[in-house]
Amino acid sequence: MGGFAKAVKDLSRFTNLLAGISLSFIMFLTVLDVILRQFRKPIVGTYELVGFAGAVVIGFAVPLTSWDRAQIYVDFFLEKLPKAWRNFMHLLTRGLSIALFGALGWNLIRIAMDYQRTGEVSATLQLPFYPVAYALGVVCFLQCLVLACHVYDILGGKYE
Amino acid sequence: MSDVTIGILGLVAVLLLFLTGIELGFAMALVGVVGFAFIRSTPAALNLLAKDVFDVFSSYGFTVIPLFVLMGQIAFNAGIAKRLYDAAYRFVGHIPGGLAMATVVGATVFKAICGSSPATAATFASVAVPEMDRYNYDRKLSTGIVATVGTLGILIPPSVTLIVFGIITEQSIGKLFLAGILPGLIAAFFFLVIIFGWCRMDPRLGPPGERSTWRQRAAAVPEVAWIVGIFLLVIGGLMKGFFTPTEAGSVGSFAVLLYAVSRRDMGLRGFLKSVTESLRTACMVLILIAGSTILGHFLAVTRIPMHAADWIVTLPFHPNVIMVLIGFIYLLGGSFIDDLAFMVLATPIFYPVIVKLGYDPIWFGMIIAITVMIGVVIPPVAINVFVVKAITKAPFGVIYSGVLPFLLSLLVCAVLLFAFPQIALFLPSAFMR
Repeated sequence: MGGFAKAVKDLSRFTNLLAGISLSFIMFLTVLDVILRQFRKPIVGTYELVGFAGAVVIGFAVPLTSWDRAQIYVDFFLEKLPKAWRNFMHLLTRGLSIALFGALGWNLIRIAMDYQRTGEVSATLQLPFYPVAYALGVVCFLQCLVLACHVYDILGGKYE
Repeated sequence: MSDVTIGILGLVAVLLLFLTGIELGFAMALVGVVGFAFIRSTPAALNLLAKDVFDVFSSYGFTVIPLFVLMGQIAFNAGIAKRLYDAAYRFVGHIPGGLAMATVVGATVFKAICGSSPATAATFASVAVPEMDRYNYDRKLSTGIVATVGTLGILIPPSVTLIVFGIITEQSIGKLFLAGILPGLIAAFFFLVIIFGWCRMDPRLGPPGERSTWRQRAAAVPEVAWIVGIFLLVIGGLMKGFFTPTEAGSVGSFAVLLYAVSRRDMGLRGFLKSVTESLRTACMVLILIAGSTILGHFLAVTRIPMHAADWIVTLPFHPNVIMVLIGFIYLLGGSFIDDLAFMVLATPIFYPVIVKLGYDPIWFGMIIAITVMIGVVIPPVAINVFVVKAITKAPFGVIYSGVLPFLLSLLVCAVLLFAFPQIALFLPSAFMR
């Protein structure tokens, strides 16, 4: 499992890197657009590019954020429970989360296929929606792997 | 079973799930999907799940969150807070309690570019507390003020809490930012008055520091002027309709980055660290929003927000009493869950009530913001106190006893804002008609 967990973490770091590049891209693109607007030469389609890049920023940051357990959760009730019950709760919540992201990933791939089939594109730059939807779907499956690593840690007594 | 009953059961299920330690955004999404499937159909619910997440993540409007968080993180990692604290110290460090006052002034200016409350508490706990220790300040005062001063960022723009509130209620982020300025400055002023009064009553709490020369003071002015300049650029641009909120966040981040690089306060490593930390915070907030959007669609089909609004307005109480009760619910909920998460959960339910009662949504945003300010320093979930404890190693009892007087001033501030909504509404009505 050690090698598998390392591969999942490396992949999560890689998607996080892509998210960081996207965030920097949004900042520089928007600033450039604001400056060029002063010379009546705005960057056409900035609005759409920022939307697409925004999906990468948030979606691609989810696995590493989950790996580090940096999402908001309530732990004061859990802390009062014995360790065995805590582990049960952790397994329950990881299981529910895997089901959620599995369903989300599968349905994002499904709507990506719909976008691809219908040829849906953005209004100005005519950029297709489906690559972003596919990418988010794949990241959801990576998130499932992150949660599976959590399950392994819980069973091995290394989660807390 | 009626749709309303299903909706109420859904809300109970969300709160019970929160207690299991599941990520709050995941819990809201799960209950939203299951509830929607129960009322409509499973395929419709799964489609809603994917569509809502795709729409939230790829929305231009939501990119404002990572950008303003990035602006704060760059300022945080560039050590701008330390410079601002030093600048404020030059002017007030020599009077009793002056170092604590410098913390308030420095943090108030720092908040103009950093919207994160725990980040400010962490920064000033690292910067100001050791300095106050050096001058034998009582830990009650030093840790109490750094824990509380971070809350100012919830009112003073660019506040992440106000951005999220604006997105949920579809209110102008520019107006919310303007509305937060005066209440934020009043709260900061109250903090200064309390430090002054407290140190007058017990001079051992905050002995005076060294007096700076006027030359030293003059040298400190540009530090503050740059930050105020960036703040005016961002808020002024938003106010005049020159920028969208996303553009304001980008321009602000870029301006702070330029300032930090020009001062050699930040290199590539610092920028990468800022980006990484911003991603984490932004992801945390947007997962909450995505979860709340899915839950919101489930609640909308149950018509709970509309029924709640209809029911609450017929209660035999004065609208102000209802408002106080709503504020109390936010405070209680935020104290046990997480203030931002509870705001995201509760606002779609209570917002229609507020509109129906005839209150101004921008003013309501300010009331919620000040409630969140109180929530982040009261137990059991007092994030700022936890941060200060982790850095200063002071016992909880000492920090809480130091927080108490400032907490009372926040309550007074809330009462003032409640009694005189103009405090919040004056600037938006004067500058953004």
